[in-house]
Amino acid sequence: MKSKIIIAGSIALATLSFSITASADRQLIQNKGSDTLVNVAQAWAEEYRNVDSNVAVAVSGGGSGTGIAAMINGTVDIANASRNMKSKELAMAKKKGQNPIEHVVGYDALAVFIHSNNPAQTLSYEQLKAVFGRGGSATKWSDLGLKVPGCKQDKIIVVSRQNNSGTYAYFKKAALGKKGKFRQGTLDMHGSKDVVDLVEKTPCAIGYSGLAYATDHIKMACISKETGGSCINPSVKTASDRSYPIARPLFMYTNGEPQGEIKKYLDWIKSDEGQCILLKKGYAPYRDVNCS
Amino acid sequence: MFAESSLNVRNKRVQNLFRILFMMMTILLIIPVIIILGTLIAKGGSIISFDFLFTDPTNGMTAGGIFPALLGTIWIVAVALLASVPLGIAAAIYLNEYAGDNWFTRIIQLAIINLAGVPSIVHALFGVGAFVIFFGFGTSILAASLTLAIMTLPVVIVSTRESLRAVPQAFREACWNMGATRWQTIRRVVLPNAVSGILTGIILEVSRTTGETAPIMFTGAAFFLPFLPQSVFDQTMALSLHLFVVATQVPGVPDNLPFGVALVLIAMVLLMNSISIAFRMYLRGKKKW
Repeated sequence: MKSKIIIAGSIALATLSFSITASADRQLIQNKGSDTLVNVAQAWAEEYRNVDSNVAVAVSGGGSGTGIAAMINGTVDIANASRNMKSKELAMAKKKGQNPIEHVVGYDALAVFIHSNNPAQTLSYEQLKAVFGRGGSATKWSDLGLKVPGCKQDKIIVVSRQNNSGTYAYFKKAALGKKGKFRQGTLDMHGSKDVVDLVEKTPCAIGYSGLAYATDHIKMACISKETGGSCINPSVKTASDRSYPIARPLFMYTNGEPQGEIKKYLDWIKSDEGQCILLKKGYAPYRDVNCS
Repeated sequence: MFAESSLNVRNKRVQNLFRILFMMMTILLIIPVIIILGTLIAKGGSIISFDFLFTDPTNGMTAGGIFPALLGTIWIVAVALLASVPLGIAAAIYLNEYAGDNWFTRIIQLAIINLAGVPSIVHALFGVGAFVIFFGFGTSILAASLTLAIMTLPVVIVSTRESLRAVPQAFREACWNMGATRWQTIRRVVLPNAVSGILTGIILEVSRTTGETAPIMFTGAAFFLPFLPQSVFDQTMALSLHLFVVATQVPGVPDNLPFGVALVLIAMVLLMNSISIAFRMYLRGKKKW
């Protein structure tokens, strides 16, 4: 008797939702991956409804690794990644009959975030290594010659990301070198926004995250290659012209050369309209665009 | 004649002490519930409106409503119930009414208990392997709901069994002596008397299914979808995942939005629970023993 009620209920439900959405033959594009790209991907999907109402883009996050794994398994049309596919991953994809093609859709600058009370202006690569690297010499802010108001213990709280994050992998490579390792005892957060939220509230903390996640209540360090050398502030402009050292390309992978609706969607992403949405979200376009 | 001895006084004091102690424990239990509900209403109540419940999210999910997530959760819960309730009740009936007490039944029971102990993230990965990839359902409502169904099956089986067991054996014997078959006895005597207990199990399942995030994250729920689901093979947004997303993944979300989503999620569970509890009380009122 109960199951009858449930069956009747779900049929009613199905008809309800059916009547709400105009059912048309719509093409679905599965888009999954990088947490860095997920907010832009969402904005693109939201806007693309107005461009072509017959195409729907389903967006999921999970991290670059998740997107790439889905591409290897053939369960997505477009995989988002904030790092290249590794050769091992490419080989696995080939073995499963997939042929991932890489598209650069923008750039992301990784900013080093510190609390707004922190007096530091410039951080050099050497200092980043000392703070973030395993066996690094800086465990206290005074080791860097700084006195941070509100940070009584003087200990540097290092905020990092979980290890399947593209942001984690890229920062490790860019700041600590190919063989570099993060120091032990970092706080690993599950999202770019979590890092910023934490550092914003913790005077002792330092962390890294996409420039797009910056808020008015947090400070970004100016990055120099050498201690005492000239530094470059993270910004959309310095990421686009590649002068900011910790900026990375953002990728979308398709299986084979994109065709049909997927090609149209990617072309639209690369068009001025798509790139301006990316810019508005705080990332750097992959080419010069004019956005009003 | 009955003057209190010192021993009586002492016993009475100890008795009072324990009564107060246990009462305080009980009060302690409901404090978190009150704090959670109070915080949610205080911080998220301001955003709740008809538009919030029944429009799409806009502006990078920092504005607008939550309708696709709300509808998605209803879909997922309904399909999960559809799969697990008949299966769970059937299994419980077999175990309690037909199966003898032998090694085979005991192994099944052990398996059910172990199934209940599996962490939800393991169910999620099982769901990906089994339903998304092996059965080829893709990331869909069907895959998500079946994953949740398997996860909540032990709840249904155990609670149904308990309520079947609570029906006095004499009822069955009386029925058999009238010449009824086992199935007639179950259908006409045992199930009607056990239905309120069975409902309790389903309530528990609904609550758990509504709130789970991990098992649906990889199997059927999407970060964002520009359309509403139209069949069980579509992906969907879901309230629990939407809460995770607006709370941790999207920059620039107004403070009251995540609290509002949490409030709707809890209100949904409370509403379904109250309906079932009312129904259960009605049924219990009709009971004649």
